[in-house]
Amino acid sequence: MEQRWNYLVEEYQSMLYRIAFSNMKNRADAEDAVQEAFLRYMKDEKPILNKEHEKAWLIRTTIHICLDILKSGWYQRTVPWNESFATAAQNIYLPYQVKDDRTLEAVLQLPVHYRNSIYLFYYEDYTIHEIASVLNEKEATIKTRLRRGREEVKKILTEGRP
Amino acid sequence: MGIQEVKRGGVMPEYPNTRKSEQAEGFQERLRQNMKYRNQEKEDIAGAESQAGKVKEKSGMGRIGAGPGIRVNSTALTEALQTVEVKHMSYEESDNVQIAVTEGYTLKGKIQGKEAQVYVEAKYEDGRLEAYQVDTKKVPEKTEHVIERFALETIEGPSSGELE
Repeated sequence: MEQRWNYLVEEYQSMLYRIAFSNMKNRADAEDAVQEAFLRYMKDEKPILNKEHEKAWLIRTTIHICLDILKSGWYQRTVPWNESFATAAQNIYLPYQVKDDRTLEAVLQLPVHYRNSIYLFYYEDYTIHEIASVLNEKEATIKTRLRRGREEVKKILTEGRP
Repeated sequence: MGIQEVKRGGVMPEYPNTRKSEQAEGFQERLRQNMKYRNQEKEDIAGAESQAGKVKEKSGMGRIGAGPGIRVNSTALTEALQTVEVKHMSYEESDNVQIAVTEGYTLKGKIQGKEAQVYVEAKYEDGRLEAYQVDTKKVPEKTEHVIERFALETIEGPSSGELE
C-alpha cells in the first residue's frame, strides 16, 4: 500500500499540481485538490486498464475536484488568496524553461474550458486525442477550444482582457 | 399564521450582513460570459467536426501552414532540412522547447550525436505532428526559417530552452 502511494506521488504529483494550480491559482488549494485526487484513487479499487488510463483518471479527477471547489458555496462566499497571474505563472514549475511568462499568464486568465485544453496541449504536451479522452469531450470540441482559446490569448496579450 | 408573519405580505425580508445582490450580479455576469463562450463554441464545433478525421498524424511535409494563424509556413525542404519519422519525444527528453500558443504550434529539439544534427518535432494546433532532421552546418547564419532557427538555438546552448 505504502509502495503504491509512493509510486503514485512520485510519478504524478508534479504534473497534477501544475494542472491544479492552473485552475486554482494558489498553492494551498492546488495542493488540497491533488491530495484529494490521490485519496479518491486509493480509496476505491478501480478497474484501471493501464498506465495511460491511470494518468487520465487522475488528471480528470483533479480537474473535477478543482471545478467542484471553485463552484462550492464556501468558495463563492470567501475571497481566495489568489496569487497574481504573474506570480502564478512563475509558480508553475515546468520541467523546461518557458521563454515567455506573459503568454502563460494569459493562458491562466482564460475561461476554464479553454484553459484546460490549452494548458494540456501546449504545456503538458498532450495530443488532441488524449485531451479529448481526459476531458470526456469530442476531438472536434478540443480542436475548437484550442483555436478559440488561442484567439482569446491573443486578445489578452494585445488588449489586456479576455 | 406563522407563515404569513415570516413572508410579510410576500416580500422577502432584507437580512443584514448579506451580499446576496452583489453575489447575484456576479453570478449573472459569469453566466453571461459562459453563455457567450458556449454559443461561440457550439457554432464552431459544427465546422470543426466536418474537418475532423481528415487530418491524420503524419511525418512529412506539404501541409505546414494549412492551419489558420500558423506562421510556420515556410518549411519547404531546404538543403539543411529533411523530414524524418516522428519519435514522439517528450519535453523532458528534449534539449530545447518552444511553445508558441499564439501561433498554434510547439517545437521540441534534441541534438543528435556530434555531427551538429538536430532532431526537431513540431506539433500543430490541428493535431498534426511532423519531424525534421536539421544539419546545422548547412543552415545559413541569418536564416528566417522557423525550424532552422530553432535548430540553431538548440545547438547554441541552454539559454533558450534549458531543462531543469
